Amino acid sequence: MVNLTIDGKQITVSRTATIYEAALEAGINIPVLCYAKKLLPFGACRVCLVQVEQMKGRLIPACTTPVSEGMVVTTMSDEILKVRKTVLEFLLVNHVIDCPVCDKGGECDLQELTYDHEVVCNRFQGEKFNLETDEVNPLIERNMNRCVLCGRCVRVCDEVVAYGSYSFINRGFETKIATAYDRGLNCEFCGQCVSMCPVGAILPRPFKFKARPWQLKEVDTVCGYCGNGCTVTLGVLNNKVETIRFNDKIGVNDGNLCIRGRFGYSYVNSEERLTAPLVRKNGELVAATWDEALQAVADGFKQAGGAGLGILSGARLTNEELFLLKNLAKQAGTANLDHSGGECYKGLTEGVAGALGVAASTGTFPQVEECEAILAIRSDFYETHPVFGMVVNQAVKRNEAQLAIVADKRGKFAKLPGAKTLLHRPGQELEVLNGLARVLLDEGLARTEGVEGLDELRQALADFSAEQVATRTGVAAEALRETARQFAAAKKSAILLAYGLPYTAYSRELGIAAANLAILLGIPGRDGSGLYLCGEKANSQGVIDLGIMPQAGGLGAQAMLEAAANGKLSALYVVGEDVLTSYPDRGKVEKALDKVSFLVVQDIFLSPTAAKAHVVLPAASFAEKDGTFTNAERRIQRVRPGIPLPGQAKTDGAIFAALTEKLGGNLAFTGAEAIFAEIGRQVPAYAAVTFNGIGPQGFVWGGEILAPARRRLQPAGGATAVDGAFQLLTGSALYHSGTVSTRAKGPLAVINEAYVEFGRDDAKALDVKDGDQVKISGNGVELCLKAKVGNRLPKGVLFAPYHFAAAGINRLYKGEAAVAVTVSK
Amino acid sequence: MSEAVETKVEEKEIDLAGANEILDHYEDMPGALMPVLQAIQEHYGYIPEPTVHLAAERLNVYTSQIFGVLTFYAQFHLEPRGKYIIRVCKGTACHVRGANRIGDTIKERLGVGHAETTEDLKFTAEYVACIGACGMAPVIMVNDATYGSLTVQKMNEVIDKYVSMD
Ligand code: SF4
Ligand code: SF4
Ligand code: SF4
Ligand code: FES
Ligand code: FES
Repeated sequence: MVNLTIDGKQITVSRTATIYEAALEAGINIPVLCYAKKLLPFGACRVCLVQVEQMKGRLIPACTTPVSEGMVVTTMSDEILKVRKTVLEFLLVNHVIDCPVCDKGGECDLQELTYDHEVVCNRFQGEKFNLETDEVNPLIERNMNRCVLCGRCVRVCDEVVAYGSYSFINRGFETKIATAYDRGLNCEFCGQCVSMCPVGAILPRPFKFKARPWQLKEVDTVCGYCGNGCTVTLGVLNNKVETIRFNDKIGVNDGNLCIRGRFGYSYVNSEERLTAPLVRKNGELVAATWDEALQAVADGFKQAGGAGLGILSGARLTNEELFLLKNLAKQAGTANLDHSGGECYKGLTEGVAGALGVAASTGTFPQVEECEAILAIRSDFYETHPVFGMVVNQAVKRNEAQLAIVADKRGKFAKLPGAKTLLHRPGQELEVLNGLARVLLDEGLARTEGVEGLDELRQALADFSAEQVATRTGVAAEALRETARQFAAAKKSAILLAYGLPYTAYSRELGIAAANLAILLGIPGRDGSGLYLCGEKANSQGVIDLGIMPQAGGLGAQAMLEAAANGKLSALYVVGEDVLTSYPDRGKVEKALDKVSFLVVQDIFLSPTAAKAHVVLPAASFAEKDGTFTNAERRIQRVRPGIPLPGQAKTDGAIFAALTEKLGGNLAFTGAEAIFAEIGRQVPAYAAVTFNGIGPQGFVWGGEILAPARRRLQPAGGATAVDGAFQLLTGSALYHSGTVSTRAKGPLAVINEAYVEFGRDDAKALDVKDGDQVKISGNGVELCLKAKVGNRLPKGVLFAPYHFAAAGINRLYKGEAAVAVTVSK
Repeated sequence: MSEAVETKVEEKEIDLAGANEILDHYEDMPGALMPVLQAIQEHYGYIPEPTVHLAAERLNVYTSQIFGVLTFYAQFHLEPRGKYIIRVCKGTACHVRGANRIGDTIKERLGVGHAETTEDLKFTAEYVACIGACGMAPVIMVNDATYGSLTVQKMNEVIDKYVSMD
C-alpha cells in the first residue's frame, strides 16, 4: 500500500493504482476522456492533467501516472483549469460540433467537458474534418468527423475483443481511426467500440433518431440468449425496447456484450409475435380465447392420461417458470419431462455429477482472467459464449495465460498470442482428453490424493498413450505431453467446455473426460481454478438445477420422440423450443410430431414446430418477464420486465399456473418472489438467498469456488473415427444463438441464412467460391447451401451452423460428432 | 467478417511466392513487421494488398495494424508504381521558379498528378519537398537522374525522352 495526499486528503491505496484511481477512491473526480476502466492506460487526451508537488514544472496525466509514497497531488488550480480548457479548445478545432443531430447528445463526454469547463469560444481556428460517414453495415455507424482520437475503440477491439478492426492511420492532421484499407466496418459487430466511444463517432444504427438518451427508461435484466448471463440494460420508450444501454456497473460482463445481446433485441418488438392463443379447427389454426385454448389443452392432457403425455421444454424459461412446469407435469401425472433433444447436458448431469457429485461449473468467469493456463475444449467456445470468450482474451493478452485448444477447427481463440491448437480429426476430442490424462498419470504429474477410481482409469487408458492418441487424432504426441506438463505446473487453471443442441455426440463421455482431467490437475475446489461446463441457453443451468429432466420412470427427449413416433405417446407439450429446427435428426422429430394425436406448442413465434400444433399458446420473451436465470457459472440473476406483453400473450409461468388449475391443481403461491422461496425448499442451493436478496452481481450458488462432493475418476470410452473424404460439423455461429436470433434484425444483418464453410485448400480443390451454391449429401439426405470460404477449417472438414429453419441442417445431422458427406456443385 | 477479406486474397492475381519466402525468413522473429514490409516493397515495387493479408495471417497481427503502419510512413506505397518515378520538387525555391508549371506539364502529357501512376505502369509522379538542388530550380528527378533549370519546353523534352524509352 502507498500513502499519498490528494487535494489535502490523506489516502492509502494499492501500489498499482494510478493517481486517477486513487483520487476516485477518495471521492475526487478528475475529468478524463481517453481513460476507460477496462482498458490499459493510454494517456492520449491530456484532459486529466494534475499537479504533483514532487514533479514540478509540468502537469502530470493522472490516468497513466502510478502513485508513489508521499505524493502530494492537486487536481484543481487556475493553471490546471487553463490547460484543460486549452486541451478542449484544441479538440474542438477540427470537430464538427453537430450536437443537434448527434445521437450522443446528452451523454457525450466532449459535450459534458466543454460545458463543465465553460469553453464558450475557441482561440484557435482550423480546418474542420470533412470525412465520409461509414454506413456500409446496418448496425454500426462511424462518423469520424466527431472523433477525438482517444483510441478507446482501437483499444477495446484489440484488448478485449481481440478482433482488431481499427488502427490509427496517417499522421499529423490527417490522423484518423480507420479499418484496414479504410473500408466499411466488417467485423464481429459486438458493439464494444460503440459502448466505448466517448463521443458520437461510433453509434448504433438501429437506434438512430429513436429517442434522446434521457427519454429512455432503463431496465436492468439478463440477456435472453446464452448461458453467459450478461446484464443487459433495456432502453425503453413507449413500451418498446429501442436499444441496449451500456452498463458496466452490475453483472458479470463488465459492460461487454456480443452481437446477440447488443443488437439482437428487436425480435421482442416483432410484428410476428404470437398475440393470441390458436386452436386448430378444420385443419386450420384459428384465434381462440384463453379459456377455450386452456380447456382444450387440459382436455387433451387428460385424454392422454399421464404417461401418454410428454413435455419438452426449452432452456430460456425463468427458474420460477421451470418450477411451475415441473409442478404442472406432476399435476398432469407424467414423468416424461426433458429440456434438450440431444440430451447434451449429460456431460454435466452424468459426467461431472458422477465425478464430483455436483452438476455445475466449479468456478466463476471473472476468476478465469487470472488463470495461468486455460484449456478450451472445442473451438466453438467463443461462438457459444462470446463474452466469457472475452475474459479468455484478456487472460491471454493481458496476463499472458497459456491457452491450449482441443479442437477440430481453428476458431478465434487460435489467433490469440501463444495459443496452441491441438487440432484433431473431427469427433476426436475425447481421445485427446484421454491422452492428456494418460500423460499426467504416466509422468507422475497427477494429483491423486483423495481420488477414487485411479486404477480403473489407468486400465481404461491402456490404449491411450500419447503415441497411440497421436496416430488416431492427428495431434502430435509431443504436443500432448507438453500441454499436460504445462497444465500440471500451473497454479490456477481452467478447463472450458460448452454444450448445446448441436453438440450432442459423446456429451456424457466428454463431461467425464473433462472432469477426469480436472481432477488429475487438482482443479475442482482449488482457489482460482475451475472446470466450466457451459450451457448454450440463458437458463441452461437453471434447467438442470430445477431438474427439468426425466422424472422417476419417465422418458427423456429422445425416448419421447421415439415413443411418439411409435404411437406410444399420444400428447406432446413443447415449450419454448423450435424442436423441428434445433433438435438433431429432423426426420425423427417430424415423425413424432406428425404421429402424436395432440400437440401443444407454447412459444413467442409461430415456429415450424408451432405450425404443426393443435393448440398454440402465445408466451412471453425475456424482456417481459420477472424472475431469475442461472447462468453457466451458477450465478442466479434477476430478470426484470421492461415492456408489457404483446396482445393477449401470457408469461410461460402464468400459462403453467393456469393449466395446473385447469387440471385440478391448486397453487398456494403466486409471484416470482414466493415461487423462488418455494424453489429453495426443494433445491437447497437456492435456499441460501431470497429473491429480493439477489444483488447487482447476482448470487452464485455454492460460492465462487464450488467444493466437489467427491473426486471420482471414471473411464470414458474412446470415440470412433468418422470416415469419408469430407466430414461435416455443425454448431453455433458467433452471430446467432439457438433459433430465436434468426428473428432478430441484428444477427440477421450479418448472417441471414445458413451456409456451409470450406477451408481454403478444399475450396480451391473443389473450385468452390464464396457464395456458390453447393450440394452436400450425407446420411441419405442432400442439402443445397451457400458456400463460404475461410481459413478456419482443416482439409476435409466442413462446417454448417444449425440455427436456420429453412436450411434443415438437422435433416443431415442426427446427433453425431461429424457426418461423412460428399460435395458437388 | 475476416472471411470476406480473406477471399480477396484469391481474387487479385498476385504471385504470393515472393511474400511467402520473405515471411518464411522473418516469421519467428518478434517485431519483424517493418523489415517484412520493406522487403515486400523491395520485391513487388509496392505493397500489394494480398501480401498485407498474408503478412497479417502469418505474423498474426491485425490487417488494420499493418495498414496503420503503411499509412504512417511515407516510404510505403500501396499502389503499383511506374517504372519511372518522376519526383517534382515543390520546395520553396522551385515553387518560386515555376514548379507548378512543371507539374502541370506532366499532368497534361502523362495524365498523372501527385502520387498517381499511368495505366501502363510506366510513370509515377510524386510532388516532393526540397531535394537539395535549389541552385538549379525548378528541378525534377526521374529515378536517379536529376534535371534542373526546367522550362515547359525542357520538361517536354525530358518526357519525350522517357516516353521513347522502354
Ligand atoms: S463491433 Fe466489436 S469487433 Fe467490431 S470494431 Fe467494434 S469492437 Fe471491434
Ligand atoms: S471513434 Fe470514438 S472511441 Fe474511437 S478514437 Fe474516435 S472518439 Fe475515440
Ligand atoms: S448472447 Fe450470451 S454472451 Fe452474448 S450478450 Fe447475451 S449472454 Fe452475453
Ligand atoms: S484521460 Fe488521461 S490522458 Fe486522456
Ligand atoms: S526547393 Fe526544389 S530543390 Fe530545393
